[in-house]
Amino acid sequence: MSEPELRVRLEEVSLSYRLAKQRIPSLKEYAIHWMRGALSYEELWALREVSLTIRQGERVGIVGRNGAGKSTLLKVISRVLKPSRGKAETCGRLAPILELGTGFDFELTGLENIYLNALLLGRTRREIDERIEGIVEFSGLGDFIRTPIRNYSSGMQARLGFSVATAWTPDILILDEVLAVGDSAFIAKCHRRLREFHAAGTTVLMVSHVVKAIEDNCDRCIWLDAGRLRADGPTREVLDRYAHAGTEPAQRPAGQLHLG
Amino acid sequence: MELFQYRDLVGALVARDLKVRYRRSAIGFVWTMLQPLLMMLVLRTVFSTLFQAKSAEVPQNYAIFVLAGILFWNFFSQSIVASMNSLRGNALLLQKLPVPKAVFPLSTVLSGLVNLVFALLPLFGLLIVTHHPLHLSLLFLPVAIFIAALFTLGAGLLLSPLAVFFSDVVELIGVLLTLLFYLTPVIYPKDIVPENLRWIVRFNPIRSILEVFRDPIYQGEIPPLSHLTVSIVIALLALAVGSWVFHKSSDRIPFYI
Repeated sequence: MSEPELRVRLEEVSLSYRLAKQRIPSLKEYAIHWMRGALSYEELWALREVSLTIRQGERVGIVGRNGAGKSTLLKVISRVLKPSRGKAETCGRLAPILELGTGFDFELTGLENIYLNALLLGRTRREIDERIEGIVEFSGLGDFIRTPIRNYSSGMQARLGFSVATAWTPDILILDEVLAVGDSAFIAKCHRRLREFHAAGTTVLMVSHVVKAIEDNCDRCIWLDAGRLRADGPTREVLDRYAHAGTEPAQRPAGQLHLG
Repeated sequence: MELFQYRDLVGALVARDLKVRYRRSAIGFVWTMLQPLLMMLVLRTVFSTLFQAKSAEVPQNYAIFVLAGILFWNFFSQSIVASMNSLRGNALLLQKLPVPKAVFPLSTVLSGLVNLVFALLPLFGLLIVTHHPLHLSLLFLPVAIFIAALFTLGAGLLLSPLAVFFSDVVELIGVLLTLLFYLTPVIYPKDIVPENLRWIVRFNPIRSILEVFRDPIYQGEIPPLSHLTVSIVIALLALAVGSWVFHKSSDRIPFYI
């Protein structure tokens, strides 16, 4: 049997937030700084020379402290951020859930937001029409679906967001701390959907601070420390090392800012 | 092209824009048509009474001349400002989803286009009321509007990333637009410009786009081919430069927001 298809390949990926952190907010200030020759930048590396490949069907958990670069890594893989150095390649249809309900319009109804959200994910109106009933049903929002979502609780919004984002079986599913939402019945439903995706060959990448979520859902685990890949291997092994590293000093150069 | 895949999103963004404009306020729709008319009345009064312009210098049927100019200018300037705000306004989204960023300026220009079409209705009303001859050249208007839209989209693509990088660009462009408004013969005929300043009018690219739009309405003639060619070249050039700058800076946009 041939190797499963390649989904993600990162080659020596580094990403610096220098631009964002050293931002000069106005053209006026930029001009003043430029005239003084004071346009210096501090480079803040959120990712440092990260190389990895992820194949079809793998379920990869990402652990690390706050500011280790986990979310940044997911953003690079989701094609939201472009690496400052190195090469990032992602193949296949993405379902990036970096935050549930991104792009919701609070004045629109749940139903209208399903359309808006799915369109933002790159679906066409016709594709959404075909799935709309399933999405509404999965969300379990019942009649609330016809009211503006400003009346929703945060749990209800999260349910709607998850229902839209996972309505189509993606090649790569990316989850950033989003499985801890909704009531326990809904969480169980989400996990069932994850298993269905896995059976269908979807690659899953998830960041979670809940070790159990990674234990239950991932076969492989990546440990990021200060932007570097510290470990990459079977979930059990990496999690053990990560748990024992609590007492070790962090491998973080002085002056490094914590980035989320 | 990636944008094509997101065509329905563009449509939805345009629809939402228009809904906000027309549904939320009862007079929103009326206002789109009324505002240029009122502006025209003000300008006509100013020109004919305050400045006491010599009758030879005031164009025949100034109301139509100036209304057509204002419609074009409103479309151009409002679309540019709206596309600059559109990227900033969707900041959070651009950090979370891999949406092609050009959908935002594109959809604002398209909704500006819809507004322009609505605002043409009172202009046609005025043409009839004032017994202005209705020439066949009016049929050329869709082509003229298309050229204006390409030009405006180019300017919007050029300026919207700048507005992300520097927060004061929107204000700066606001001032520049006011200056441009007076440097372009929108409300005055270009013939009244003194000889030694004519070059400003001559080399103003916006003047060229404006005339292609206004001539069919006001003069009742399709602009000569040479003139038309120049305006098409200007519009395509603006679009090319705008797209290039947008493409070049688009990877950096999420870092600045």
